[in-house]
Amino acid sequence: MKIKMISFGQIAEFINNQKIDVDGISDTDAFKQYLENQFPALKGMKYKLALNKNIVQENTEITSNATIAIMPPFSGG
Amino acid sequence: MSAERYNRQIILKGFGEEAQQLLLRAKVLVIGAGGLGCPALQYLAAAGIGHIGIVDDDTISLSNLHRQILFTTTDIGKLKVEVAAKRLQEMNTQIGIIRHPIRLQKNNILDIISRYDYILDGTDNFESRYLINDACALLNKPLIFAAVSGFEGQLAIFNAPDYLPSTNYRDIFPIPPDKGEIPNCAENGVLGVLPGILGTMAAAETIKLIAGIGQPLSNQILNYNLLTQEQYTINVSHGGGYTLPKTVDEFLNMDYQDTSEGPQGYIEIDASELVKIQQLESVILIDVRERHELPVLDKQIFTQIPMSEFGAFMSKEFYQKHVVLICQHGIRSVAAAEALQEKYGDAKKIYSLKGGIVKWRDHFLRS
Repeated sequence: MKIKMISFGQIAEFINNQKIDVDGISDTDAFKQYLENQFPALKGMKYKLALNKNIVQENTEITSNATIAIMPPFSGG
Repeated sequence: MSAERYNRQIILKGFGEEAQQLLLRAKVLVIGAGGLGCPALQYLAAAGIGHIGIVDDDTISLSNLHRQILFTTTDIGKLKVEVAAKRLQEMNTQIGIIRHPIRLQKNNILDIISRYDYILDGTDNFESRYLINDACALLNKPLIFAAVSGFEGQLAIFNAPDYLPSTNYRDIFPIPPDKGEIPNCAENGVLGVLPGILGTMAAAETIKLIAGIGQPLSNQILNYNLLTQEQYTINVSHGGGYTLPKTVDEFLNMDYQDTSEGPQGYIEIDASELVKIQQLESVILIDVRERHELPVLDKQIFTQIPMSEFGAFMSKEFYQKHVVLICQHGIRSVAAAEALQEKYGDAKKIYSLKGGIVKWRDHFLRS
């Protein structure tokens, strides 16, 4: 499964925009698990995923060449 | 109305006299007259928004001036709302500017935002942002949301009437981050032009929404990166797993962690109290800033444990009974104090230096 990752804000400091090729990830729950294993710093953070530019609100199937964005909340002004 | 003042936008194809009339009839509330609020206010006033309310309880300080471009050096110490209102009124004498020199809280926000048609959130903290979001969702007020972090920004519109089903901020981030999880501008720094761009974009979205032109960012969140000039827009849909107050009573029972209401076990101290505590037996003074931050404090006196390493520190034990936490502005030190308080309860006395090194600079440069 090929997935393109895009991250923002604080999260971009430890997850670069990159393409990964991993087996066994077929949905967004599995991807989240993978992310938090690879990048433990993410576990304690609030963030939201977007699959192909749509906010992920429930476990959603991922097809190959998907783009997943990882977005933290901003409060600054 | 002076047609000449707005001539250049009235003659614009797709805008015209009708759109101008919509702007002149609109009532917009801008919350926060800071880095985002200043540019937003300038363009909204210049474009002829008929009634503009400004909410801010803060005064102008020197470190505001690199991004809060309504203010000048001679304005330092004055109320932001007063200076902003005066400047905007001089800029456009034909509109009404309403001053609200207060901090919005549960008990006053509904009254104030109910007087306006559109709400622009240019605040700088999560407490205010969730408070404003929930109040706007409750009263069904369109909310233009802008925020910055580092070199990036976020922009969105919630509760827009013509874009049903409408979404709100909690559809993206159901609950606020913990204190200290996401650094703010005072802690993290910000290039002045970034809130300038986001604040201007927020004004543009407000004008588009009112005039009914283009595709406003309703039910979308735009991520903007200043360093790459890239934008990435994400569609927002309804989520679950959060509590949105459905009635005024429910709203008043929500916990927005207003500073006046927050439970505290640790004590916030000033520099003179710091000097007294330093004389006590069994004291550790902890500087929680990252290693690159200036000024560098005397390592003989202050133990450096950056927030990025604080988790590891928390897993160990130390013998001192009095713990003083210090950072640049007294925000991260509060987060560290809360964590230690939770771990140790009454077993240790925890202190956080209010206002941080910046506020007591003279003290630290002397010692």
